[in-house]
Amino acid sequence: MSDVMAKDKQAASGDEVIRVLVDEKLFPAVADRPEQIVLRGVDLAVTRGSFVVLTGPSGCGKSTLLNIVAGLDDNYQGNLSFGANTGKLSFMFQTPRLLPWRTVEENIRLVLDDDEALSDSEINARIAAILDRVGLSDAANAYPERLSLGMQRRAALARAFVVEPDVLLMDEPFVSLDDPSAESLRALLIEMWNKRPTTVLFVTHDRHEAVMLATRLVRLGGKPAAIVQDSEVTLSPAERLDREKVLAMRVKLFENA
Amino acid sequence: MALEQHTAKPIQTGRVGRGVVGSVLSGRLGWTLISFLALLALWAIVSTVLQSRLFPGPLAVGDKFVSEAASGELFLHVGITLARVAVAFFLAMVLGSAIGIALGRARGGTDQFFDTWLIFFLNLPALVTIILCYVWFGLTEVAAILAVTINKIPNVAITVREGARSLSRDLDEMAQIYRFGTWKKLRHVVVPQLAPFFAAAARGGLALVWKIVLVVELLGRSDGVGHQLHIAFQLFDVSMILAYAIAFILVVQIIEIALLQPFEKRVNRWRR
Repeated sequence: MSDVMAKDKQAASGDEVIRVLVDEKLFPAVADRPEQIVLRGVDLAVTRGSFVVLTGPSGCGKSTLLNIVAGLDDNYQGNLSFGANTGKLSFMFQTPRLLPWRTVEENIRLVLDDDEALSDSEINARIAAILDRVGLSDAANAYPERLSLGMQRRAALARAFVVEPDVLLMDEPFVSLDDPSAESLRALLIEMWNKRPTTVLFVTHDRHEAVMLATRLVRLGGKPAAIVQDSEVTLSPAERLDREKVLAMRVKLFENA
Repeated sequence: MALEQHTAKPIQTGRVGRGVVGSVLSGRLGWTLISFLALLALWAIVSTVLQSRLFPGPLAVGDKFVSEAASGELFLHVGITLARVAVAFFLAMVLGSAIGIALGRARGGTDQFFDTWLIFFLNLPALVTIILCYVWFGLTEVAAILAVTINKIPNVAITVREGARSLSRDLDEMAQIYRFGTWKKLRHVVVPQLAPFFAAAARGGLALVWKIVLVVELLGRSDGVGHQLHIAFQLFDVSMILAYAIAFILVVQIIEIALLQPFEKRVNRWRR
């Protein structure tokens, strides 16, 4: 990176971590449902350290876009690129997707133990620290299906963070939880993200959640879906935990939605 | 009211007392013991009534069992049969699982193409495979093991293929995201999902392999339980046939209880 580029704050290209361009994404015809164009002309660039929330009505193609970015879906017309030094990627799915036959601790260790830069003691220390952070130290040796959904989500969050990802993708990771559990997980996510900022692309249809977490809000809409809104969310970490402040910002951001 | 309550108490304790004795007798072990003794009694009665050399009673068979065991013959032949079962079973499980996983994960017409082959081998009578192996490869140990293995592979492949078809796509994506290597994915993601199918294949497979090994021994080997049964058949020595049959059943039960059940328990320990 040249000095000129570093000085120029507008030169986003040098700071771009994810750049995804979807000219067209098709769902092929299945049984009696005809072929369907889900996304058209979506161009999204995510800069380093930003928390981008992708929102829009259910079924509009948010998760499809996220799967394209994750590399899980390469059947589309367009282009995907990552910035330099963008190596590690984590994905927190809608369901926890833990291995039910491995304990919480083993599930977390498995995503870490191929990292040759880490010694055994470093790995152990990291796992202990992350379990403590998400409040699962006592459940380290439990099998996931014996835990509540909220605790399974905490384990999945720990797994996503433990690799210290350059890019963290999240697909409605807090749905189907009761409100207090979801809210405490959101607070935990904000805390963890503040401690170790990383580039996040987060999908949700929950507007409260979107405003609470996002530093930048991208709204998809229409059929086929395209970006219909792209706004900065200027809330301090403290304000994000204040329901009133979040609500006020939400009204402001979604006034013409 | 007060009196009624007072008298009601001892009756309840009495019930609890009977319940404990009853639960031992009606427990799994209790029923097994009762039904085993009943079978033994029935056998003794029928043999006493018939009074035939061709239908010996439990005592005569027991005598034969003890003398065969004392001479070491019993252990020798059961041991040899056991070794053949173990080798053929192991080979069939490994090869059958590999084929099953490959077919279950294959896309397009590959699975359908090989489905015909599987059905062909599945329906090929065991006796035909055995005869052909002996004809082509001679009356050798390799031919014997090969015949049993070929008989068993299609069953394992079909069971494991069912499991491989239902592998979780969700967990597959998780492994892809966190960059699991082939070995790691196989060990931590794929094999645990297939464990119930391996167990089913092993359980059905062991029963089948046992029986086929006896036929293989009868037709072309000069040792093992199958060969001993062959000799006993020629001598019309029914006591010996039954003594070997009982030894055989005992060994199968020991393997079931000492190996298969603990294995199933272990692979299922994570379930709620």
